[in-house]
Amino acid sequence: MNLHAIRAIYLFEMARTWRTLLQSIVSPVISTSLYFVVFGAAIGSRITEIDGISYGAFIVPGLIMLSLLTQSIANASFGIYFPKFTGTIYELLSAPISFVEIVVSYVGAAATKSIILGLIILATAALFVPLRIAHPVWMLVFLVLTSVTFSLFGFIIGIWADGFEKLQIVPLLVITPLTFLGGSFYSINMLPPFWQTVTLFNPVVYLVSDFRWSFYDQADVPIGVSVAMTLVFLTACIAIVAWMFRTGYKLKS
Amino acid sequence: MQPIISISNVSKTYATGFEALKSISLDIKRGEIFALLGPNGAGKTTLISIICGIVTASTGQVLADGHDIVRDYRAARSKIGLVPQELTTDAFETVFDTVSFSRGLFGKPRNPAHIEKVLRDLSLWDKRNNKIMTLSGGMKRRVLIAKALSHEPQILFLDEPTAGVDVELRRDMWNMVRDLRETGVTIILTTHYIEEAEEMADRIGVINGGELILVENKAELMRKLGKKEMLLHLDQPLQAVPASLAEFDLHLARDGHELIYVYDTQGERTGITTLLRGLADEGIRFRDIETRQSSLEDIFISLVKDRT
Repeated sequence: MNLHAIRAIYLFEMARTWRTLLQSIVSPVISTSLYFVVFGAAIGSRITEIDGISYGAFIVPGLIMLSLLTQSIANASFGIYFPKFTGTIYELLSAPISFVEIVVSYVGAAATKSIILGLIILATAALFVPLRIAHPVWMLVFLVLTSVTFSLFGFIIGIWADGFEKLQIVPLLVITPLTFLGGSFYSINMLPPFWQTVTLFNPVVYLVSDFRWSFYDQADVPIGVSVAMTLVFLTACIAIVAWMFRTGYKLKS
Repeated sequence: MQPIISISNVSKTYATGFEALKSISLDIKRGEIFALLGPNGAGKTTLISIICGIVTASTGQVLADGHDIVRDYRAARSKIGLVPQELTTDAFETVFDTVSFSRGLFGKPRNPAHIEKVLRDLSLWDKRNNKIMTLSGGMKRRVLIAKALSHEPQILFLDEPTAGVDVELRRDMWNMVRDLRETGVTIILTTHYIEEAEEMADRIGVINGGELILVENKAELMRKLGKKEMLLHLDQPLQAVPASLAEFDLHLARDGHELIYVYDTQGERTGITTLLRGLADEGIRFRDIETRQSSLEDIFISLVKDRT
């Protein structure tokens, strides 16, 4: 195991976060605060409690999940795409480092950033609404699991993308709509039966549901199913990354 | 002595069907400076990229210091440093950080003293805290070399190391390469500047159209393939070479003011004495004589031209 290489890449990626603090941390926190103002205060004041939870508090897990997904993908995809774009990828490919080590270091750094961001948003939310966390350990487990899974997904997008447009397509056209329609701002039980069934095909529903369960002990779908679905997606991402490195897809000719 | 790099029947055909390398076999001796010459698109960078692990060979095997570059890639790659042709650097990192990063990437523990030595040797120490984006092209080239040397490689690949750099920096780099060789590092360089190969290389390989045309000791190559010219500055211009001198390889230049005789230095007889006697018999007088050895460039051009 080339631990020095893992450390070097991890610290390099984390250094990028501190260097771009404004866009990495501050801007997602401001965006989330705006959601609280708009949905929590302005609209939320006209919505009654959902499942016994005030609307402002109800949307906290969904909002954290929204940032977690978009930032995990953005961090990881940019982390591996940028060396491809600048050409410095040659150094990574010629170094004595395995694909597992490359993935661990890039995805580890991207997930770390997302976890930090998730915790900052959680602290910010506590300023706006009264929070309680019923299962803090599970909350952290879901935070880590989701960050790692979507950082892996972002890593795949970063390898696949051959332009900045492609880098943006999946987060903008797929992830954001799925998150908005995944029960971040409402309980899927509020939907008509037909749309409830349709929603179950949205993987983000399971992520939001299990994360909300860790806060309020209430879930839209059974918690075991949610965890299983997340693990299935994680396994699929690992398999795709392994295939990409084995075949050199868009990395080696 | 076991070669430090052994390339056996390596070929590369890209997905487009383009055959970049055609069964290349080559041994690089430990501690030598080997220059790989070839025109654009000859396959030089592809060959280097295969050895370094950036491109996958279609067939064949490469051993670096006895380690297979595919099966035993960790051991093989840790021996190798690569300076790429393009100025591919991070923009926002400092010089010190980016060189330290490269050392870590190649599995070596932090060693600020070694990084300082590398940076000082390359006249980069004063720039250690500068962001790379603020450096000139020549300085960026030095940073790439520093990155390649950060993990103390035994084999250094320099892909067009002096392309686009000024004369002074080129001289500095030549000196640096010689110094590295003194420390036991094997150096393989590709270059467009044939004078660079002539100046520095111990052995020369010429590659063209994906084929290795020849590999030869530089001195031997120049001795075997080199021709010499004798240039006679004539008193009076000649309209044509006299028929009595037709047996000599003579031609006129500068409107008949110069007579050039091409001869083989390895031949049993150069024919110079007979030619001078023949000229005297024809009453052709000359003011000056000079001789010129053909350069590696001449040899290279004739080799490549013969193949096309």
